[in-house]
Amino acid sequence: MRKCILIVFWLLTPALALAAPNPKLAIPSFSALAQKATESVTITLDPGLLGLAAKFLDSSDPQEAATKEVLKGLQGIYVRSYTFDKDASYQQSDIDAVRSQLAAPGWNRLVETRSRKTHADVDIYIMVDHDQAIGLALIASEPRQFTIVNIVGAIDLDKLHKLEGQFGVPKLDIDPAKAAPAAQK
Amino acid sequence: MNDDSDALDEQLSKARRGERTALTLLVQAHQRSVYSLALRMLGTRDLAEDLTQEVFMQMNGNLRTIESNRHLGFWLRQVTSNRAIDQLRRRARVQMTSLDEETQLFSAEEASDPLLQRHLQALLADLSPPARAVLLLRYQEDLDPVEIARTLEMPLNTVKSHLKRSLQIMREKTAAMQPMRCEGSSYE
Amino acid sequence: MSNDIESQLRAALRPVAPSEEFSQRLAANVASQHSTAHKSRRSGARLHPLAWWFSATLAASLVLAVGVHQHLQQQRLQQSGLEARREVIEALRVTSQKLNLAYEAVKSQSTSLTDEGNSV
Repeated sequence: MRKCILIVFWLLTPALALAAPNPKLAIPSFSALAQKATESVTITLDPGLLGLAAKFLDSSDPQEAATKEVLKGLQGIYVRSYTFDKDASYQQSDIDAVRSQLAAPGWNRLVETRSRKTHADVDIYIMVDHDQAIGLALIASEPRQFTIVNIVGAIDLDKLHKLEGQFGVPKLDIDPAKAAPAAQK
Repeated sequence: MNDDSDALDEQLSKARRGERTALTLLVQAHQRSVYSLALRMLGTRDLAEDLTQEVFMQMNGNLRTIESNRHLGFWLRQVTSNRAIDQLRRRARVQMTSLDEETQLFSAEEASDPLLQRHLQALLADLSPPARAVLLLRYQEDLDPVEIARTLEMPLNTVKSHLKRSLQIMREKTAAMQPMRCEGSSYE
Repeated sequence: MSNDIESQLRAALRPVAPSEEFSQRLAANVASQHSTAHKSRRSGARLHPLAWWFSATLAASLVLAVGVHQHLQQQRLQQSGLEARREVIEALRVTSQKLNLAYEAVKSQSTSLTDEGNSV
């Protein structure tokens, strides 16, 4: 009997692990696109590097102090951005491998914008667990550039809100009190 | 050039043995290069002088590890570039010297087109610190991309990418200013 | 055209000399630092018997090697830290730039909705 319970538990564990939301996206290498791009930004910051970076941020500088606050609780920041010298150098299907992960349970689309003026499409997703934002994903597609940002960890929307207006972060008027429950709908 | 290099190798040996005159000659031989690199990276004379002094003071402490005058040149370029890049990363934006100041960022021997000089100065300031360093090592120090990659400890493809992009930007923006300069009637 | 801009850059980027006053100050400071360091090294050697001098040099070399190693490690750590800091700032800059795109789109949409509402 005990053996049966153990076997069942062993079989269920991966399933349980799968059920837990994972805010870290599997981002492809985009090596073929990187070769075509005139500029590429590839940033991979795991917890170790984030901790190291925080030590080198100047607490006496308001901008850098605010950045330090945002970094607290983060487990990773991943950025891939590619710029091309001609329109339509990449296909939407190139980004689909990332987009499809955002259809998984746990991810909620916070913002979807389609601009005819700038021809830029921006989708922002958030993953919430027990009323706490634990992941953010942003996909921006422009005629000559696409960008994927994935932030993993306890995102304090209040602190992110305070970064607005600095580093060129716009004032989005995101109300932290409303954002978490709203995202669960 | 070989005779000069041999002579400076000799001065390096003497400097290691403590001869002040030899050290002064080495500083004089390399200071234009170090100062120009610092000035064009950092944008102001004060910062360039500070960095130049720091680099040569550091050189003093490292003479024993420097094998030849050629190695010294490589070492000075590497330290100057890396320190300048670090300084720039700590600053939000480089304030290039105002046009009213007498600080001369570009060679006076080619001042036949001061507008172009100022234009190139502004374009240089717009480049990222690593791209700026790559451009200066290429066109001021006349290093080839492989040497630049070694100096900055940067992948060769990245060096080539910086050069290509920077030249493209400069070409486009310089071409854009040509029609203004050609419209003689507006200046009469 | 390529050669044109390159030759313009080469001409414009010929090294420039610092001021005479700075050159003299630089030479004096560097030489002064060099003399002080060199005197310290020499005076130590004169004062002790040969055997003790060898041991002292060996011990000093070991301390120096450890110190240099630690210094190099510290330098590497500092470089890594500065690089990580740069990447964090760059990541935030890119993120904020794209957030701004979304913001502009939302703002212009709400402005046009307001205009439509007013015109009804």
